[in-house]
Amino acid sequence: MGTGWSALTRKDLISPKGRTVLLMGNEAIARGALEAGICFAAAYPGTPSTEIMEALASVAKDAGIYVEWSTNEKVAFEAAYAAAMSYVKSLTTMKHVGVNVAADILMSSAYAGVNAGFVIVSADDPGQHSSQNEQDNRWYGMHAHIPVVEPSSPRDAYKLTKAAYMLSEKYKHPVLFRSTTRISHTRQPVTFEQDVPVEKKCKGRFDRDIERWVLVPAHGRKQKKRMMEVWRKIAEDEGVEPFIRIINPGMKKAIIAGGIAYSHVMEALELLGKKDEYSVVKVSLPVPLPYKPILRVLKEAQEVLVVEELDPVLEIQIKKIAYDNGVTTKIRGKDIVPINGELDLDSVARSILSFDGREPIMPWKPLEPLKLEPPIPARPPVMCAGCPHRNTYYIVKTAANKAGLKDPIFTGDIGCYTLGYEPPFHTQMTSLEMGGSIGVAHGLSKVVDEPVIAVIGDSTFYHAGLPPSINIVYNKGHAVILVLDNQYTAMTGHQPHPGTGLTAMGEPAVRVPIEKLLETMGYKTYVINPMNVRESINIVAEAFKKYKEGEQIAIVSRMKCALQAVRKARKEGIRLPVYHIVEDKCTGCMVCVKLLACPAIVVPKGAKKPKILTELCVGCGLCAQVCPFNAIEIFKEGSPDWLEAWK
Amino acid sequence: MARYNILVTGVGGQGLLTLGRVVGNAAILAGIDATIAETHGLSQRGGSLIVQIRLGEGESPLIPRGAADLVIGMEVLETARRIIYANTNTRVAMNKFLWPPPLADYPDLEQVVDKIKETGVKLYMIDANRISENVVGSVISANMVMLGFAYAVDEGLKKLFDKKHFLQAIERVFRGKAVELNKKAFEAGYEEGLKQT
Ligand SMILES: Cc1ncc(C[n+]2csc(CCOP(=O)(O)OP(=O)(O)O)c2C)c(N)n1
Ligand code: SF4
Ligand code: SF4
Repeated sequence: MGTGWSALTRKDLISPKGRTVLLMGNEAIARGALEAGICFAAAYPGTPSTEIMEALASVAKDAGIYVEWSTNEKVAFEAAYAAAMSYVKSLTTMKHVGVNVAADILMSSAYAGVNAGFVIVSADDPGQHSSQNEQDNRWYGMHAHIPVVEPSSPRDAYKLTKAAYMLSEKYKHPVLFRSTTRISHTRQPVTFEQDVPVEKKCKGRFDRDIERWVLVPAHGRKQKKRMMEVWRKIAEDEGVEPFIRIINPGMKKAIIAGGIAYSHVMEALELLGKKDEYSVVKVSLPVPLPYKPILRVLKEAQEVLVVEELDPVLEIQIKKIAYDNGVTTKIRGKDIVPINGELDLDSVARSILSFDGREPIMPWKPLEPLKLEPPIPARPPVMCAGCPHRNTYYIVKTAANKAGLKDPIFTGDIGCYTLGYEPPFHTQMTSLEMGGSIGVAHGLSKVVDEPVIAVIGDSTFYHAGLPPSINIVYNKGHAVILVLDNQYTAMTGHQPHPGTGLTAMGEPAVRVPIEKLLETMGYKTYVINPMNVRESINIVAEAFKKYKEGEQIAIVSRMKCALQAVRKARKEGIRLPVYHIVEDKCTGCMVCVKLLACPAIVVPKGAKKPKILTELCVGCGLCAQVCPFNAIEIFKEGSPDWLEAWK
Repeated sequence: MARYNILVTGVGGQGLLTLGRVVGNAAILAGIDATIAETHGLSQRGGSLIVQIRLGEGESPLIPRGAADLVIGMEVLETARRIIYANTNTRVAMNKFLWPPPLADYPDLEQVVDKIKETGVKLYMIDANRISENVVGSVISANMVMLGFAYAVDEGLKKLFDKKHFLQAIERVFRGKAVELNKKAFEAGYEEGLKQT
């Protein structure tokens, strides 16, 4: 349900000024960038940043701009940065951990600067809704000497994106735009202030400015001075709208808040009836924090509370400003505002009451959790019905038994297939960062006795899988590389990649075959179609035997993502087969339930035999091939060409 | 200026995000400000999912626990899980569909319904999956059935919106033949809701 509808009609995003459209924060950022006149955008997908580039890609042709999904964040950054070196306004977007991948070029870009507006969006994930950590990327601004702009709502994100481009153009310097999940993924009506310009600069010019672009140490030292001068001037001059706003100035108590925390603060003060007691400073330029207005507030107020999500980035700077200027105003922050996870109205209201020395009595009275027996089971995400990864995991585990491959260690990676860490598969025993499966497998193979299998998705392989794969053969490691090729970057919403045959703008593209890459590196490479379960088990068992004999082995398991197969079937009027369990033949052995955990197979409360929810079955046929009693049969035939949907 | 808070709860893939977008577009048509906090990424793969709709002036997108005026539950266990967002005055519109997660033991429907009723919330139930199947041929429009149903049983929503706002919003959000089908689903849910008020 729900899938297959466009997130936003293309026309909406480029509709004229005056229109009000329900935009997700990410779409608002995209619109802001369009109004600012970008002509070049490159990114690698990652939650919660993905929809910015998806929105731009959907209007690229109408808006006359270039958009690409690059192979990783570093590559995307370099491409977009090159445009801005050459006088073409550009954008790159990534999730917070993507900035780690692009950190090298990020640092250099601050030294060399830009010739046209250049904005890097970092979409952070406080609360870790969909990430391995909740790092606060405002630190990157400090670290790299790149100013950070941070919005408090989707509407604010729209406006501040344009302000970020102005800042970048003014100082000829990159700007880091920090969004968070609750801004990127919240929708709000946004009224457009301007049209998307028809005329924009898309043709660039490369200045052979060797001192600037060739960062040998002698040049780097010069550029450092330029960079630090920019840094100083921003802190000195930009303490003005829209970067700093003071609401209700002159009060004895003040709250300084940035990002989403500002929105929580304003609503909390209203709900607590304290709006008139406080001055509030809205900080939209947290790094480097412009000191002039902050100092003014520190001098006027007797007590200051700093409310920010995650790390005390503002608090540390504010305390430094106070110290440097001999101000002794009481400044509180992370001693009362939570440092872990996201803030919300409730936690912010509690912080304000605690700052006031009041009992945290809230205007809302939640019900107690229900006491049920058995309790409500957790519902972690699961692989979809018909997911190719389920087939591959079943095949690999069965083949390992068959080949006598004892206790393999499965190093893992990041993607839908990470869900293999759950029962019944346990085919992901690490998942640290993208590409880590192969690098970690190499190291393990040097220090442990068990066989090691590195499991990595196709998009992840293109992103960060190549160098560690080369490393294994070069340094004589010994791990099987298993690439799960479902032809899309599925986890983040099915973006195309170099194996898909399509670009971000929907044009046909060459396919870079993963098996050829691995063969060239020196792996004996097997390709399976995991829909053919028995045949695949035999091939993989054969591969595992060769691995035991000491050969370098890689396996590419290629079957399309089930959601994409279902989408294609729906679009082309193809009917997929549907399976059911024939009650008379089923012995209630529960093999299908226990070995596959397909969400379409359920055990009704109190029943002894499982049942297939026919409206959820997509007809992959895996369960029918696994049932030892042949009790699972086709219930509704698919159309004769149903296999086409999976191609 | 307390905002009107609607918590939508269910399982990833049940069309919660679409439901949120229809309400958001209806808000624009009705001249009401809104924030709608969605959940994307991992939990869309069949995990627990919530969408937080807040109507009226203000920008904080998260509903405090206990502050939901209306809960729209697309699935029984997920409605039970999120009951902490409700208070004794909350209306709960729930799809009578219990979808257990794989490999897990779970409480049965009667027990969950009894416990929800015991809390004192006003509980309204509908078999939205079946109605969607009858009306459009599959469960795909159960979300619009639920929205129509919730609109019929919830006084708060009725004060804020005319029915036409939702029907026009459906025209904005869906395309092609999905527009008519989803309007029908909304109407079918609405009719069922009227019977229960
Ligand atoms: C550095 C970094 N960039 C982006 C992401 C977001 N992300 C998570 S999984 C994934 C890709 C998954 O694609 P693939 O490897 O093809 O596996 P699939 O989900 O298709 O099974 C991405 C881009 C991330 N976690 N880390
Ligand atoms: S989206 Fe595709 S790859 Fe991801 S779990 Fe579902 S079927 Fe598998
Ligand atoms: S055929 Fe079996 S394993 Fe495949 S989707 Fe249907 S129920 Fe699940």
